[in-house]
Amino acid sequence: MNIQTVVQRLLRPAETAYAHCDIPCGIYDPGTAQLAAESVEKMMTLMADGDASDINSQARYIAIKELNAEAVKHEVRIIWGDFMKPPDLATTPDLHDVVWEIMRLGSACRQGTNVDDAKALRAKVDEFAGIFAKVKATR
Amino acid sequence: MLLALVVVRWFRRAFVAVEVAGESMTPALLPGEYLLLRRARLPEGETVFGRIVATRDRSGRLLLKRVIGLPGESLRVGAEVQVNGRVLIEPYANGESAVARYRGVQRLGAGEHFLLGDHRDASTDSRDFGAVHHSRIEGVAVYRYWPLGRGGRLRRPRRRFAAAE
Repeated sequence: MNIQTVVQRLLRPAETAYAHCDIPCGIYDPGTAQLAAESVEKMMTLMADGDASDINSQARYIAIKELNAEAVKHEVRIIWGDFMKPPDLATTPDLHDVVWEIMRLGSACRQGTNVDDAKALRAKVDEFAGIFAKVKATR
Repeated sequence: MLLALVVVRWFRRAFVAVEVAGESMTPALLPGEYLLLRRARLPEGETVFGRIVATRDRSGRLLLKRVIGLPGESLRVGAEVQVNGRVLIEPYANGESAVARYRGVQRLGAGEHFLLGDHRDASTDSRDFGAVHHSRIEGVAVYRYWPLGRGGRLRRPRRRFAAAE
């Protein structure tokens, strides 16, 4: 036992104060991102198929696709930043590329109305969910 | 000898030492750090903003959170914090508050303070248990004495708002 450990033990307070979180931390699930990506695709399909003169419906589709495309980016960023660790790249070397593609496609879905972007976003999020499952199985 | 006893008694009445557990106050406070809390009622006014204070939850655990909202203020807490309609600049906060945790506008009553953890994604705080009356605040974190390398007074941040658009 070194001196630092001894001093630390001597100074250790009797009481603990919690900078706490009651929500069990460490729970991650790409399901939210997958659902949001599906919503984006659905909205953009409705926009493409719908009557462009129905401004109210179009506005609702746009609002929902905006919200969900951003939600996809948010959820994936959280898992990528908080759950994934550098050693995981050994088993999933394409992780960063997949995340980068999701960020790019998520923005494309917000900016435009191309259904192909939404389909590609959904496919990439599904791929990301597969990577997540693979990494989680190793923990 | 008598003087030393008096000093020790005064110190014990004025301060309490605590060990930090949990990560909701990172990076300001890290798990395992030792702090001194000053046992004192909160002063009135803006000088309380940004102080890290201790209160107890229903199970009696001592909690550490930062004072963000003051009595009489209207707060809108979501991805950002708005105080009376002005966006608060929070260099001490980290993590993204999920849109789903948006809790709408809350008007703080007399003596009520809104407490938030700095790590917004991983904190149970006034967003969950509501505003905390000053009578339930048991102390103010004033000094970190361990680890020595991070030791020193815990200073409160200045309250700043984003410029109106």
